Amino acid sequence: MTISGVEGTVSIKPPPETPKLPPREWLKENLFSSPFNGFLTIVSTATLLMIGRGLLSFIFNPERQWGSTSTNLRLMMTQAYPEEQYMRVWVCVGIIFTLVGLSMAIWNTGSRITLRRLGSFLLSTGVVIDVLTLLAPFSSQAKMIWLIIGSAVIATGGALLRTDEKNQDVSTLTLMVATLTAAILALWVVPFGHHSFVFDRTPRSLAETGTVALTTKLPWTIMLLIGVLAYFSGKTLTTRFPSKNLRPTIIGIWFLAPPTLLYLILRDPDFDMGHVLNTDLPIFLIFAVIGGILLTWFTRPTTGEIGRVGAALILLAGFGMFFTPMRMIIRILMLLLAIFALAAPTFAGDTKTRRRYAVAWVGLSGIVTWLVTAVNTPSTIEVPGDFFIGGVSLTLMVAIFTIVISFPIGILLALARTSKMPIFRILSTWFIEFVRGIPLITILIFFSIMVPMFLPRGMELSEVSAIIIGYSLFSAAYLAENVRGGLQSVTRGQHEAAEAVGMTTSQKTFFIVLPQALRVSIPPLVGHCIGVFKETSLLAIIGLFDVLYIARNVIPNQTEFLGSTRENLLFVSLIYFFFAYQMSKASQRLEQRVGLGER
Amino acid sequence: MNETENIETTATNRDLSNAPDMIVCENVSKWYGDFQALDEVSATIKEQEVVVVLGPSGSGKSTWIRCINRLEHHQEGRIEVDGIELTNDLRNIEKVRSEVGMVFQQFNLFPHLKVLDNVTLAPIWVRKKPKVEAEEQAAALLERVGIPEQADKYPGQLSGGQQQRVAIARALAMEPRIMLFDEPTSALDPEMIKEVLDVMKELALSGMTMMVVTHEVGFAKEVADRIIFMDDGQIVETGTPEAFFTNPTEDRTKLFLSQIL
Repeated sequence: MTISGVEGTVSIKPPPETPKLPPREWLKENLFSSPFNGFLTIVSTATLLMIGRGLLSFIFNPERQWGSTSTNLRLMMTQAYPEEQYMRVWVCVGIIFTLVGLSMAIWNTGSRITLRRLGSFLLSTGVVIDVLTLLAPFSSQAKMIWLIIGSAVIATGGALLRTDEKNQDVSTLTLMVATLTAAILALWVVPFGHHSFVFDRTPRSLAETGTVALTTKLPWTIMLLIGVLAYFSGKTLTTRFPSKNLRPTIIGIWFLAPPTLLYLILRDPDFDMGHVLNTDLPIFLIFAVIGGILLTWFTRPTTGEIGRVGAALILLAGFGMFFTPMRMIIRILMLLLAIFALAAPTFAGDTKTRRRYAVAWVGLSGIVTWLVTAVNTPSTIEVPGDFFIGGVSLTLMVAIFTIVISFPIGILLALARTSKMPIFRILSTWFIEFVRGIPLITILIFFSIMVPMFLPRGMELSEVSAIIIGYSLFSAAYLAENVRGGLQSVTRGQHEAAEAVGMTTSQKTFFIVLPQALRVSIPPLVGHCIGVFKETSLLAIIGLFDVLYIARNVIPNQTEFLGSTRENLLFVSLIYFFFAYQMSKASQRLEQRVGLGER
Repeated sequence: MNETENIETTATNRDLSNAPDMIVCENVSKWYGDFQALDEVSATIKEQEVVVVLGPSGSGKSTWIRCINRLEHHQEGRIEVDGIELTNDLRNIEKVRSEVGMVFQQFNLFPHLKVLDNVTLAPIWVRKKPKVEAEEQAAALLERVGIPEQADKYPGQLSGGQQQRVAIARALAMEPRIMLFDEPTSALDPEMIKEVLDVMKELALSGMTMMVVTHEVGFAKEVADRIIFMDDGQIVETGTPEAFFTNPTEDRTKLFLSQIL
């Protein structure tokens, strides 16, 4: 056996193989090693079986109105998004699938699993299917079908376990694509039935036999193809370009994706081209050119103190603009320029570095200009109610925006709280303690009702934007405490080593302390993100149409599905679990990946 | 390393009396709470001089050496490094720190960066050197400390001796005029001490001004121009290695030597 390790390829003696116990002895050793142990095994198995039976008889009870879920799937996903514009939703899903496929290729995700492990997995899955079938209150015909399916899975697993090439492996990605293909093929073949709503004078639901609607199965088939195609084009990209260029590009696109999808595609803004060309574009160009020149000058290693004074002046001017009537875009660009100017000494360097800094400024100011323009442009999507989208889309949107916005704020708060400067420390400590002392629901109510009333005249903020701001502040306070834990885990020696090579405080923070602190805080940070995602369900309480509100209040009030709360709650909990579990898995992979350079 | 024959001819017996002063300490005192760690320490270190600071633990050697690049703040007296006085003025501190390289007992490499990036980070961002140039210099320095093949590894994958040599390369990358060593071999396994000491000897012979806190008597005898013996935060005795080890004057020195030799 050879192993490629730190010192290259060396031959090593393989460890002695652990003898595999025959099933009877394995059972004895693990489940019935003592009388008490055996008793526990029997009791817990019986309990599990009873729970399984109860759950199955709940699900398959003929009284259950599962039609309420399947008819209202679109309502749960996007609420009242107009049907004739639904192409936009699919374009968004397609873009996300493209990005996922590209990222999977570029980050080399997926591992290999041996046929033996696959075999034992299939074997146990088959056994579970058979046991559940026996427990479920099925008709004898359905029971037969499911028993056959379960046994087929068992047989496949057994065959895999028994092959001679047990140690051969397959890629988990192949398995994933195969599973998804099978699922989508099932949409075309299996008669799930076709449920739809007809919005007549009296809305009624239709349940037809046959496979699902073409508007469901066709887009999903295309999505899978897009994902697979994106994966392979990602693979070709990795052979052409170095990953140190590809990865930052893709990360940048990921960060741009939420606002782009929301404001450019889903909302279909009605841009006033005359206004854009006469006002927004000139403002951007002026800022790009002047800012670019200023920043190239500020980042000269020799600029020194004058640069800092200049940056402070820009910051003052930026604040001053909030007290004079001024276009919002100019105020925001001014503040952004001030931030860039303040950070300039940290990134000073040779011509290449300075040019890159100026380009970053032009790019970021362009994005900001475009975003502000898009936000201020009215939407052409006509929907009844307050916000143009709801359901799972709203839940995801609020969660993603909150997480993305609260991350930088939380990190800044944590840095301020551990800083030596008393004003920053006191302010951030008070902010964190104050926000942590208030229940989230209070903050959400405050931001949804009160804040829009306090806004200066002429400034408008939709309820959802106000809530995202409030939720981000709340989340940032908790996030700051998680990051602070990470900051404290960076040893004093690291600070001293950075100081001893002459780094300034901001360089030390940026290059040495934060990377280490964030790596330590990955587990609590991901826990926090999962919490943020799940607690978007509080939106239901303040009357926004998130997926929980729809499942609990909207669907059970439809005339056909009166009182179908339990079915829909069960379904919604599955949706929440799916996303939360994906996040948790992603964090485990992330931990493994960054564990490489561990001390 | 092929400098072994050079190392035998020690750096001692050089005449440094005309060399300019690099570090001047006048009556430096420091307290931790009520405990006085440094008590009126005064010393002058010339350019190219190699000074070894000896003393029992808790005698203030590390505190003193850490005051010289202001990782600790002295409370009384004055310290001047290469003509710049150490005060609270941030600009002076940054200037001094880029003149003074420091090597720590616990290495303190940046664990999240590869060896090469450990060495190039400060030259690129503090000295504003172009990246290509910094990487060439780093490769040359890693060659000099004898581990050119480890550039793409993470510090956690190296042995203690290799890590300490990377730490020396990292300090040298800033092209310092003075190198401070704070017990550089105390955290190392015995078989790795020599590889680090060899690098330090080579450095001393190249004309670097060095201040070394160590317990390695062999290194002190062989390389030092001068030995400073500290106890209770005071400088007890100063002298050439020969005089210090064969003919100590103070009782405390004699006691210390009898315990370690």
